[in-house]
Amino acid sequence: MIALEFPPINAILRWQDVAPSFNKIAIIAVLATIIGCTIFAMAARADARKAPRGARNLAETSVEFIENGVIMQTMGRDGLGWTPFLLTLFLFIYLCNVPGIIPFFQMPATARMAIPGALALMVWVVYNGAGIKHQGFGGYFKSVLFPPGVPKALYVLVTPIEFISAIIVRPFSLAVRLFANMLAGHILLVTFALLSESLFQAKDKILIPFGVLPMFMLIFLTGFEVLVAFLQAYIFTILTAVYIGGAVHPEH
Amino acid sequence: MATAVVTLSGGSVVSVRLASEKGVAAAPRAEEGAEPKDMGPNPISPELKELAWGFGSFLVFLVIMRLFLVPKVRKGMAERYDGIRADLEGADAAKADARAEVAKYEAALVEVRAEVAKRVDAARVTLDSERGEAIAAANRRIAAKKAEAEAAAVAERAAARDQISAAVTSVTATATSIAVGKQADNSVVTQAVAQAMQSTGAR
Repeated sequence: MIALEFPPINAILRWQDVAPSFNKIAIIAVLATIIGCTIFAMAARADARKAPRGARNLAETSVEFIENGVIMQTMGRDGLGWTPFLLTLFLFIYLCNVPGIIPFFQMPATARMAIPGALALMVWVVYNGAGIKHQGFGGYFKSVLFPPGVPKALYVLVTPIEFISAIIVRPFSLAVRLFANMLAGHILLVTFALLSESLFQAKDKILIPFGVLPMFMLIFLTGFEVLVAFLQAYIFTILTAVYIGGAVHPEH
Repeated sequence: MATAVVTLSGGSVVSVRLASEKGVAAAPRAEEGAEPKDMGPNPISPELKELAWGFGSFLVFLVIMRLFLVPKVRKGMAERYDGIRADLEGADAAKADARAEVAKYEAALVEVRAEVAKRVDAARVTLDSERGEAIAAANRRIAAKKAEAEAAAVAERAAARDQISAAVTSVTATATSIAVGKQADNSVVTQAVAQAMQSTGAR
């Protein structure tokens, strides 16, 4: 029998301050902003007349990805004005997710509730604000709470459901989906890393070869987390676009 | 603190389980009557400093991207796309011009070919008429030469006949004078020779 010490959940999620009120999550968030700004600043400085390369290529690819893969699919041409917001949202979430597999960091900033919660709350304010701006306060809430085409008798049932769904549940589902996925990935990586270490250092020599199995799983999950990091950023962004599009153009 | 308990049987792993401090009731520490440790704050609850730094960073990122970086990158993209579009349109126009030039060239080629065919036909007609005229002139010259030659031959023949006639007449007169012993009448001999030659010639 071997016993490995699994650290308390707070030990793998809560980080000590490296400066007053400035921990690893804050470092990742600040670095995400710096890296994103640096890439786009380099792209903005590059000669636009030449074929894009390096940072410019990366920036243009991400702009086109957001425009063609997110906005045109959910909001249409009218939604192109939202490109900077959705692009920033996507890049920020992705750059906060990716440190989960980067040595030294090994922690996605979105595996803590603060950033997903703040972003989801901001998205809630943005899509409700956009809806009110385009349809007026009454018009927007009428379109949300009393969807057209529903028999009037059913409004008793539909209206509370729509209120809970569109006004209350959406920000929670946005935040929890991102947070839970990144937290689960982080815990899985920690678990397999600890298991590999314990088996490789087992006193019983016969257990040592079994350490290869969790190690392979760890490698596989690390690769998988690259995909998850991108996918969760994409899902958060496309749902934001869907919510904004629905608020601005309820007929769609 | 959670503990992973791996159970072995005969050297192989039978089961692995994670157990909390409370769960490891049979563990020695529990037997010692240790109180469960404080698990700390709720791991899900957000920390204010993380909220502030995370949201603040995002806002700074958004403002910089919205006001400066994305418009600049987008402007560059639009300029390049416009340039590419203009180049494509220019290429299309050049292609259309080239096609028009080719059509014009082909029309001119057809015209030139028709003109050439017309001129060749005219030349052939001219050549044929000139050849006919030349052949007719040559035939005329040949006929004239032939007539001249025939006339010369007739004259030569007449002259030869006269010479023969004179010679035969002279010989006949001499032979007659030798045969009869007197000078023969020259006109009679001449007439007789002429008659004899005429009848010989007729034969």
